[in-house]
Amino acid sequence: MKKVLSIILVLTMAVSLFVACGNSNSTAASSQAPASSETPTATIKVAALESAYGTDIWTEVCAAFEAKTGIKVELTTDKNLEDVIGAGMKAGDYPDVVHLATGRPAALTETLIKENGLEDLTDVLSMTVPGESVKVSDKIAGGFTESSLTNPYSDGKTYMAPMFYSPCGLFYNAGLFTEKGWTVPTTWDEMWELGDKAKAEGIALFAYPTAGYFDAFFYALLYEVGGADFFTKATNYAEGIWDTPEAQQAFEIVAKLASYTEKSVPSNANNDNYLKNQQLILDNKALFMPNGTWVTGEMADAPRADGFEWGFTALPAVKEGGDAYSFTWFEQLWVPAAAENKDAAKQFVAYMYSDEAAAIFAKGGAIQPIVGFADTLEGENKMFYGIYDNGAKAALGGFAATDPVEGVNFADTVFGTVNSLVSGDKTVDQWVEAIKADSDLLRAALK
Amino acid sequence: MDRQKGRKAFIALCVSPAVILFTIFMVIPTFNVFKMSLYKWGGYSANKTFVGLKNFETLFKDMKFMQAFQNTILLIVLVSIITFALALIFAGILSREKIKGQNFFRVVFYIPNILSVVIISAIFSAIYDANNGMLNSLLSLFRGAGKEPIYWLGDQKIVIFSLAAAMIWQAIGYYMVMYMASMASIPESLYECANLEGASRIKQFFSITIPLIWTNIRTTLTFFIISSINLSFLFVKAMTSGGPDGSTEVFLSYMYKQAYTNSSYGYGMAIGVVVFLFSFALSAIVNAVTKRELLEF
Amino acid sequence: MKKKRDSSEILFKVFVYVALITLAITIVVPVAWVFMASIKQNSEFYGSPWTLPQGFYFQNFVDAWGKARMGEYMLNSVITTALALGLLLVVALPAAYVLSRFKFKSRKFINILFMGGLFINVNYIVVPIFLMFVDGDKLLKSLGLSGIFLNNIFVLAVVYAATALPFTIYLLSGYFATLPKAYEEAAYIDGAGYGKTMIKVIFPMAKPSIITVILFNFLSFWNEYIIAMTLLADPKGGKTLPVGLMNLMKAQNAAAQYGQMYAGLVLVMLPTLILYICVQKKLTQGMTLGGLKG
Repeated sequence: MKKVLSIILVLTMAVSLFVACGNSNSTAASSQAPASSETPTATIKVAALESAYGTDIWTEVCAAFEAKTGIKVELTTDKNLEDVIGAGMKAGDYPDVVHLATGRPAALTETLIKENGLEDLTDVLSMTVPGESVKVSDKIAGGFTESSLTNPYSDGKTYMAPMFYSPCGLFYNAGLFTEKGWTVPTTWDEMWELGDKAKAEGIALFAYPTAGYFDAFFYALLYEVGGADFFTKATNYAEGIWDTPEAQQAFEIVAKLASYTEKSVPSNANNDNYLKNQQLILDNKALFMPNGTWVTGEMADAPRADGFEWGFTALPAVKEGGDAYSFTWFEQLWVPAAAENKDAAKQFVAYMYSDEAAAIFAKGGAIQPIVGFADTLEGENKMFYGIYDNGAKAALGGFAATDPVEGVNFADTVFGTVNSLVSGDKTVDQWVEAIKADSDLLRAALK
Repeated sequence: MDRQKGRKAFIALCVSPAVILFTIFMVIPTFNVFKMSLYKWGGYSANKTFVGLKNFETLFKDMKFMQAFQNTILLIVLVSIITFALALIFAGILSREKIKGQNFFRVVFYIPNILSVVIISAIFSAIYDANNGMLNSLLSLFRGAGKEPIYWLGDQKIVIFSLAAAMIWQAIGYYMVMYMASMASIPESLYECANLEGASRIKQFFSITIPLIWTNIRTTLTFFIISSINLSFLFVKAMTSGGPDGSTEVFLSYMYKQAYTNSSYGYGMAIGVVVFLFSFALSAIVNAVTKRELLEF
Repeated sequence: MKKKRDSSEILFKVFVYVALITLAITIVVPVAWVFMASIKQNSEFYGSPWTLPQGFYFQNFVDAWGKARMGEYMLNSVITTALALGLLLVVALPAAYVLSRFKFKSRKFINILFMGGLFINVNYIVVPIFLMFVDGDKLLKSLGLSGIFLNNIFVLAVVYAATALPFTIYLLSGYFATLPKAYEEAAYIDGAGYGKTMIKVIFPMAKPSIITVILFNFLSFWNEYIIAMTLLADPKGGKTLPVGLMNLMKAQNAAAQYGQMYAGLVLVMLPTLILYICVQKKLTQGMTLGGLKG
């Protein structure tokens, strides 16, 4: 009986606590201390996604930053970073710097964009890189701070710093091409010819890890069919844009590619099993897949066909002599608007573009978008990052941010449907209709 | 009089902890779900806008929600009926027939129910894998090698049934043990009489066994509805993430998608409200249709 | 006539055994497969799933236990589950007893309340619960204290116990309702009070039913991951086993560790299997005695 009594006692206390909570919300919020003053001994909390590049690069960079500036860094890394920091952020406990790209399934970065939760980083561009005498804007390679991936509201202000860029394109087994005497297609027509040849040998032309990987592919394709202007209009949901001949051409190419895709791909096109789809390339069961340079690290332990050698190419051009594009995928680093040590956080952001930090990141395979840095690379990376020197143009950007629209997830509509195109559950017309409908809704909600 | 007072105190002492805990952790949060369904809120910022029933209006025009609705109903119906039938038959066999290794079967059949859904999904993705999964490599023995494999999780016409199979696999043992328990309380003499009259096994099953465990069956029907909604979410989350292309989206997985990855928390909560009302209504209907006598509760 | 009956009898038996053995195989084989996969090296996972392990690669378990912190998570899971079960029993047993055997004014209302609770799905109230704790922690911090509600496995245990109440009370009441009144009357005549009667007379009789309740709730607490994931958000803080397992599994953009993952699966599965084998006899007994008479 005593037990029961003591429990009731505890509970009553708990209840009164909750009641108290309900009443004093406002005071709790307003009494939060203002940002602490920036002494050299300040501590910033850095949260970074643990990706294929590993976590060592972050530990080392943070240590180097501490040594350089005297600002202490508390580092958090995790493979599911949004699970880890998302809950804390809801609780008002924000990291000062977050390294987390857009385009992830949990869409935490997108949510903060939609909710105006990011700090304006435009002034970081004119800061001097710690330990060097160069301005940040002079070090970041051209074009990287001009797309919607860094300036989400298209107002010329930079809210996210570009990090770890990686050319995206089609990966293939170069060894197989040599063995069969095939050449890598430079136009889509040559692509389809190769597809028929490969089919005769029991090899599918195409595979993709998950439908989400079509983002880089589709953006590059939009550039190819209509150039930069068309791309901007399309990603801003311009009226009637999807009815233009350019858009139709892009849809046709994706649809045709879907018919050349290995049939088992949609089964494994999810976050748990996508490695099986990547394995198709290593096993010579499919020729091409859209991917980024991290794939070589991801598949490092996987068994492969004899004579396998990674090959990488930009998307084939839509017509003879047309432009070939490779989408430049990059990750983003941002400072939450609710961060406590914004000044120190901005120094950290600036430090990311120092030669010192870039060298540390490069050890893990992560390449910073710094002017002239790609020239210093060796080995596989030299081939990957040399793609733009070999005639391919760089495609940058993405769909513009909007206010949240209930029930509309544009990435699912545009890219996710590819799974249905491959399996034949939806027709191209249905796909285009859905894109148009969602596009109309999003246009109305543009920021 | 004193006794009366003591009785009241005793009742209060016994019941109030449960009621308090229940109120704090279930009633109030549920109330908040209802409240938030009337707001537009992204989940992080402080601006919540009251939008009335607008979330519900959008909801019923949202084709993706309708698909999730259909999938959920399909899963409830399919999983309930098949699990119900199989569990009942196996329970009947194991409690009425003399079977060697009876105990072994009973113990083994219950095992899937004690496994975490995380484990079950790992098991089934190994079973369903198109190119070198257990199921396809087994089937190729019958279909001959070289045929195109069956895409258990990739073909949108099949995938929902693949999910249903995993759910049934998980649930059979649980309901079987439940039915066996109540079958054990049926007096043996009834069957002896039936045997003397020459009634067949099947006749006995339908005219003795089923009527006598009817209350239990009715209870499990409600369980089926509640657990199908819940488990379908856990299975979908772990096995297909709603894919391919939204074809296996169910109520709660769609709710999670909207609330957490589409910055539409209020909209997600509106889905929660619909789920609550739907499961309540469906259970009430099933209860009314199967009514033979009053539920004791 | 007799002969015909015999042959159909044999046919029936064959059919029954085929059905039973098929179902048993579909259960035993995949579970055994997980055990097998847990001792394979990472490179053995590409290719046919039927290949036997090349050796006993125990390193998977070492890695899962240490590197993936499964050992620590195991301890957390044990504490959370035990606490939640204890609290649940202490709260639910008296409530179920009183609600099923005493007549009082608000009884019907409370019964309906708990019945309704069966329809509340934990998956959608978890965030309101989380937000409630957030506010609680904010308040404590504003008072200069440190937050106690989030990232606390004791609080997690309380939430588990609370959300399991409707089902547990439902099961237990069903059982208590079947007991004859005579037991209590005899105890009262002997001069025992209400509390003493409940604890000394009624609860011991309910033992099989209590064991069933423990097993059911043990399984659901041990395997639960949605609530645990939300309420234990701190990356450096504790996690429970299933959450740790999800982390091992859902490693997007990072090299997947299959061997480690299956070793983790075995670590989660083993305690439930052992407990189940130990109490499986009592489980049916508990149900037989009316635990689920509704």
